[in-house]
Amino acid sequence: MPYTILYGFSIGAILYFISIGLSLTFGTMRVINFAHTLTYCIGVYMLITFTPLLKGNFIPSAALAILVVIPISYLIERFIIRRLYGESLDYTFIATFAITLMGVDTVKWIWGVNPHPFSDPIGTYLKVWDFTFPIYRVIIFIIAILLFLALELFFKKTIVGKIVVAALEDKDGVRCLGVKVDKYFAIMFILGSALAGLGGVLYAPISAIHPYMGLSVLLLAFAVVIVGGMGNLRGTFVAAFGLGMVMAITARYWSQGAETMVFIVMAIVLIFRPIDI
Amino acid sequence: MLEVKNLDVAYGHAKVLHDVSFDIEKGQMAFFIGRNGAGKTTLLKTIMGLLKPQNGSITYQRNEISGISPEELYLQGMRYVGQEKKVFSNLTVRENIEIAAYASREPLDQALKKVTAIYPKLKSFLEMRAGQLSGGQRQILLVGRALVGDPKLLLIDEPTQGLAALVIEEVGKILSGLKDRVSAVIVEQNLAIVKQLADRVYILKEGKVARGITEKSEISDTQKLEAYL
Amino acid sequence: MTLDKARVPATKTDPGKELRLETMITPTRGRVWVDLLVIAAAFLLLVPIISTHRVTDFMIFCIFAMSFDLMYGYMGRLSFGHLLFLGTGAYCCGLFINYVSNNPLLAMLVGIAVACLLGMLLGLIIVRTTGACFALICLAFNQIGFFLVLSPLKGITNGEDGFGIQAASFWFLNPGSRASMFFVVLFCLLLVFYLLKRLTSSPYGILIRSIKEDETRVRFLGYNTYFYKWLTFVVAGVLAGLAGTLTALNYNFVNPNVMDVHSNVGVVFACLIGGAGNLYGAILGGVAYMMISNYLAIYIHRWEMFLGISLLIIVFRFRMGIWGSIKGILEYMRKPKQVQRPVEEEGV
Repeated sequence: MPYTILYGFSIGAILYFISIGLSLTFGTMRVINFAHTLTYCIGVYMLITFTPLLKGNFIPSAALAILVVIPISYLIERFIIRRLYGESLDYTFIATFAITLMGVDTVKWIWGVNPHPFSDPIGTYLKVWDFTFPIYRVIIFIIAILLFLALELFFKKTIVGKIVVAALEDKDGVRCLGVKVDKYFAIMFILGSALAGLGGVLYAPISAIHPYMGLSVLLLAFAVVIVGGMGNLRGTFVAAFGLGMVMAITARYWSQGAETMVFIVMAIVLIFRPIDI
Repeated sequence: MLEVKNLDVAYGHAKVLHDVSFDIEKGQMAFFIGRNGAGKTTLLKTIMGLLKPQNGSITYQRNEISGISPEELYLQGMRYVGQEKKVFSNLTVRENIEIAAYASREPLDQALKKVTAIYPKLKSFLEMRAGQLSGGQRQILLVGRALVGDPKLLLIDEPTQGLAALVIEEVGKILSGLKDRVSAVIVEQNLAIVKQLADRVYILKEGKVARGITEKSEISDTQKLEAYL
Repeated sequence: MTLDKARVPATKTDPGKELRLETMITPTRGRVWVDLLVIAAAFLLLVPIISTHRVTDFMIFCIFAMSFDLMYGYMGRLSFGHLLFLGTGAYCCGLFINYVSNNPLLAMLVGIAVACLLGMLLGLIIVRTTGACFALICLAFNQIGFFLVLSPLKGITNGEDGFGIQAASFWFLNPGSRASMFFVVLFCLLLVFYLLKRLTSSPYGILIRSIKEDETRVRFLGYNTYFYKWLTFVVAGVLAGLAGTLTALNYNFVNPNVMDVHSNVGVVFACLIGGAGNLYGAILGGVAYMMISNYLAIYIHRWEMFLGISLLIIVFRFRMGIWGSIKGILEYMRKPKQVQRPVEEEGV
């Protein structure tokens, strides 16, 4: 059972990293970004490219991978997302999905379709009572908590954070006070994408790496954002860990049903609390 | 100060404003009155750059501004206070003003002084979440927010709507204190306020300027004004 | 009926296309028979070029595309889980044949009936939502369906591997014969086209298009939009189920691919490239997509990339699709000197 809880927390942590960006993009730009997990996928592939080059050092490779993700997300924001402001929903869906298709194809082209193995960079275990936990998963969880606290501070204390909070509620109001909101939203988009990349990079050692990994995680990220509330960062935090737990517990009793359970929860939430877009 | 000529504004294919023209001079307060749906909110939003006109021109301080973004216009001294009395409810009153001070690069204490000058009671609310303010307090906060920086033209949409009589009086006092310091285009349904403050009154009917009154004597004649509505 | 006189303003979803309700009602019955003949002839002509079996495939997809377009193009609701109904139809048809009776017609009816029931039940909850909510909840149910046939129902569905179908022949419906299947599917296609044509030209059709433009206004006019949305959802589900049963009979084989969520992008692409909100468009788009995915894939390895790029181009530059452009050209040829009438509406 304690393993299940730890797995739940580590999955929740990864979901949290990925969902923040999605929640923010939706809350700020009202654009549903289907291409969000592309940066997740790219981050991972960058990681496996850099690691052998940097002689197996995980942290610098991870950092480099995330750095590469940033300009890519800037390009996506600049040329696609910005044009989708105010568009009807289906077109934003379709356009961003098209980007994902293109991205996945590019990944397949460069790295091939076959899964790449990647091992746990730490590999040591923590012994608590009778249980041995992989330290790596514990660290992921700790990073997630730190990130949450950092984001809380950011949105509460910094002026940029306050502008985003205000703009989430009343974008025109902020614009009429002379603040170029779109610029800040773009920064948020890039931040969110970088976080998704971080999620990918951290998850790589404990999951299967293949070109479609972005897609499989995308739907889960959407589920988290819907359950937690679009643009609601605390909600995203709770929902990510909640659903992570759901997945871990379901996996224990019914190994293939984990993802489906998440969708069932999402469907239930949507039925009782439909979102207005 | 502000000159609007032959303005046409439409939502999609639905035309809301037809050939609207008016002007005000520096330091003056112009009021727009008219029934609901006449297009008054649309007019203010277009001047502020939130909407794009199909035709016509808007000249502000001798520059053509139609099509310029609200962010730019703010820096040129235009201020917009909307009808829905929306404040940043998740931030405190102080933080609301902080955001206003950000773009205009005014030091926060100076901004706070300006706002509390028009309404000293606000000092006690500074740390309160703006979402918890009453309607009247919100309106005053919004007007105060608009005074941060170097405002030259205020565009205010129905400042006294939904407020209690006593609060309307307060708002009236505050607006009257602003006379001659800033110019203003104000949409109002409350004729008493119009009478008290207006230098000019324009009547908007179904998207057209039905009448422009520039004589003080005519403005004081409430019956005449009502007849035009 | 007040709707006849109402003018629905254009929104960003249909740039520059003012919906004049009078022009939405396509003319008389006679025209429909011509359309049917043209469609039948077109598909018959394709047979010598591509094999019979392939054309049958194309036609089944066109039925599916039309069912999707009813919900997406006409009513404006994008679903990311329409394969659920296709899959339900296919699986129920196949399971019926293998476990109950190998009468294919009966199996088809059962498949359609189950899809209908599913649509009716799910529709009750799903149709209350809109936009992203709608799309994602459809996706969720599609995933759930996919999972069900993969895992818990593995006993009867044989999970990932799928199962073969041994159907007998019944009248003209002979799943063993390619020619028979071709004509049966062609008949179904024409039938579906005819039904949808009548449906969308009727006041119901006007109503759902109005719902797409501005649902609140329609509700204010006194219509129970919930019912009409639900009805559309059910009809779309039924027709998709029909396509599913035909798929099962055409291949004599069913596997979870008929419920694969990722295949939704194909039908979305088909409707977009053909021209959303139009039956001809759906058929054209269906054929186009089938051509691309079957043949282009052979010549261009990176065909998914191609799909992505073309989707982007369509979204940003080519929203009217093939049919929309054809219509535009025809209209231009008909009235080259049409004066733009200024639009005046009362102030808001």
